[in-house]
Amino acid sequence: MLLAYRLALASPRITARGIEASEFAVDADRHGVHAVPAIVVDDRYAWAGAVPEAAFVERVLEAAGT
Amino acid sequence: MTLGEREQEAIRSVFAGLERDVEVTLELGPTATPVTLLAAGGREIDSNGLAREIVEAVCALSGRVTLTLVEHDEPGPWPRTVIGAGLEYLGMPAGYELTTLVHGILEAGREGPSLTEASLARLETLEQDVTVDVFVTPT
Repeated sequence: MLLAYRLALASPRITARGIEASEFAVDADRHGVHAVPAIVVDDRYAWAGAVPEAAFVERVLEAAGT
Repeated sequence: MTLGEREQEAIRSVFAGLERDVEVTLELGPTATPVTLLAAGGREIDSNGLAREIVEAVCALSGRVTLTLVEHDEPGPWPRTVIGAGLEYLGMPAGYELTTLVHGILEAGREGPSLTEASLARLETLEQDVTVDVFVTPT
């Protein structure tokens, strides 16, 4: 979660939001979230699991189509 | 007491690293569906009330952190905590996510980004706006 926040603070193009999956179960189900942390980029499921900073950045860029 | 003495001391220690003031906004209101949590034995819980207790207790631990409460009448994605210019957290910042709240405030209170130069250079290539949602659980 903190990596997503760091990206948002570093880039004005990125918005980061943490969502408690059990309180917002409808949203979690809609995205097919079965494990946490689960990352959803631009409303599309991207991946689950913690990754190092460089990989996190690359995956966000890839999911965003950059 | 929402936070124990040791938790309060640990959070004060983290907040000692704040380099600038941070505004936190907690939005509360009716939820569309009742909230039940396995961690609460499957009972319905007052997520707004618990979120308010936690966020108020955390924000009170530093003079650099100010808290604004907003009460909504319409159902929505509440409780929602907004840290600084736009870091958001939907739900109760309890359990492991207490750390997210505390360190989110710390990150927003830094004078500059805390990513590596390589990461910053890669982010410069972004040509469109991107929303990153991270689903988490408190346990």
